[in-house]
Amino acid sequence: MSILAEAFALVFQPYVLMVILSAAAFGMFVGAIPGLTATMATALLVPVTFFMDPVPAIAAIVTATAMAIFAGDIPGTLLRMPGTPASAAYVEDAYKMTRSGRAEEALGASLVFSAIGGIFGTIVLVTAAPMLAEVALKFSSFEYFWLVVLGLSCAVFVSPGSVSRGMISLIIGLFAATIGIDNPAGQPRYTFGNVELLAGVQFIPAMIGLFAVSEVLRFVASGAETPAVEKGGRTGVFAKQWTNLKRYPVQAMRGSVTGTAIGALPGAGADIAAWISYAISKKFSKQPQKFGTGHVEGLVEAGASNNGAVSGAWIPALVFGIPGDSITAIVIGVLYIKGLNPGPTIFINQPQLIYAVFIVFFLANVIMLPMGWIAIKAARTILSIPARILMPIILMFCIVGSFAINNSPFGITLMVVFGVIGFLMEENDIPIAPAILGLVLGPMLEQNFVTSMIKADGSFLAFFERPIAAGLGLFTIAIWCIPLVMLLLRRGRGRSGGKPSAGASDRIGG
Amino acid sequence: MKFNDLLLGLLVLLGGIAIYVSALGFTDIPGQDYGAGTMPRAVAVFASLLGLFMIVKALLAGLRIPGLELAPWLRSRRSVLSVVVALALVVFYIVAAPSIGFVPASLVVMAVLMLTLKTKPLTAIAVSVLACVVIQQAFGRLLLVPLPRSEFLGFLW
Repeated sequence: MSILAEAFALVFQPYVLMVILSAAAFGMFVGAIPGLTATMATALLVPVTFFMDPVPAIAAIVTATAMAIFAGDIPGTLLRMPGTPASAAYVEDAYKMTRSGRAEEALGASLVFSAIGGIFGTIVLVTAAPMLAEVALKFSSFEYFWLVVLGLSCAVFVSPGSVSRGMISLIIGLFAATIGIDNPAGQPRYTFGNVELLAGVQFIPAMIGLFAVSEVLRFVASGAETPAVEKGGRTGVFAKQWTNLKRYPVQAMRGSVTGTAIGALPGAGADIAAWISYAISKKFSKQPQKFGTGHVEGLVEAGASNNGAVSGAWIPALVFGIPGDSITAIVIGVLYIKGLNPGPTIFINQPQLIYAVFIVFFLANVIMLPMGWIAIKAARTILSIPARILMPIILMFCIVGSFAINNSPFGITLMVVFGVIGFLMEENDIPIAPAILGLVLGPMLEQNFVTSMIKADGSFLAFFERPIAAGLGLFTIAIWCIPLVMLLLRRGRGRSGGKPSAGASDRIGG
Repeated sequence: MKFNDLLLGLLVLLGGIAIYVSALGFTDIPGQDYGAGTMPRAVAVFASLLGLFMIVKALLAGLRIPGLELAPWLRSRRSVLSVVVALALVVFYIVAAPSIGFVPASLVVMAVLMLTLKTKPLTAIAVSVLACVVIQQAFGRLLLVPLPRSEFLGFLW
């Protein structure tokens, strides 16, 4: 009990609460602007959290991401431009509701069910994480090796677009992770005599480059302007939500469960959760024909799902140190910088910190309701800020943020290099998330792989000798086989006179 | 700039081979068969296999020439210019900020980029000055980041 009291004392300080409130406002703002994702909100926030204690730092990230995922629905609903990829699944329905004058109802549903999903995910996080940590204490390098491979595989196989392109992204990340002197033999790799590269590719400038600078470059290249905002009528944000909850309790619950589970899977995050939940909702709906025509049902389920995923993603991040999505990948980077090594021992050594994180999660999801209401009411003003003014300011933030990590201009150089890489990747439909996971997990993969190989004396069979390692290994291999099975199934269907195999054969998911 | 699958596969294969060759020079942990080269070699093998797979798949799909498709923005002189300006401004900041200081350098970066994106000059300058002071105060004063100073603007720090 004293631990819980300590945790409360850590969170309920005026400074921490102020950080939470500001981070909420910041998350709302970034999420509400089309093109600026929740991951970008985190990326821009990290240089600031760098100067905070662990609890306010984590609180800022948790709050900002939860808000940004919800706020991504705002431009989706009003402009038909999803603010974050996690809102893309149900953008048709939300926008059509706006066109029939029900914008506030649609946004209210997103808001309320986002909070429900988020709180559900948090409850699962609170109960499952400590239990899993007990199990994880018994893990050896073999289990960790498979967990990392599982996380990276999921990131590749669930990324939108083709699997081959996801793999290219992963290779870029893994290769970048090999740069520097931090390796089993302590030999400088790919540093080309540069002293600053000895420490490896600094994670934060790389990430700011990949997520934020690439976005600025894309805007600059496209020269697109924000379209005019639909009017959408004033029906009240919360007015119809009780009816919606009574009408769709199963959907809300199912969305929360699916979202949390997908979030907890290493490598898969809110975007995928929303797509899958929307598909499930349509499949089991009594009125599937209404989906895509301004129907609130899919919004309820997928809205709960993507915020559930935000909480769920923290389970593997805290317990194993393996990120559930690109946001928690950033968080893990931050935790390491703060000297907190995520993994099961954190539950033993600093339980008050873990409980503080849990409390922050509840706070973030509760505070979402009033903040979301304000954001919905202020949406038209936020959306009328032209991107041609915003993007140069964001670029400046990127520069200062990359500099602030080591107070060295080399951070800015790294940022711009990775910005160009990220821009070229997106031009070629290569997803960015696997690269970030590769960069974060690369050192862990290398360490556990080399340790395991030495322990096993070079025998791959040893990777399957311990029961949990074997289970994880088989599960991972099963995931690798999915594209093959899909290909065979499609071929089989093609031969039996069904639909011919259309599109890229290795395309799955969104 | 969009590479077709054949060219992308070729690049991945070449990258894999390059990593493999470069990793041959890395040392092992004394007394072990593994070391600094293990991971790069694993990545290299993975990349080479993927590259080969992509090449075969592209050939089977009827692609014969490794090609490059120009994205629409590359055909617009304005867009290309904007991208070049944005990148040049970052380089300008890296080079110039240590000598002229954060405030003038960041002002130039923001104002010039806004003007390139066709913002009205007065708005561009006003917003840039405001943003510049806010960032300087937030990072330089509050978070104590040693942003490069300018002699004549020392009062801001």
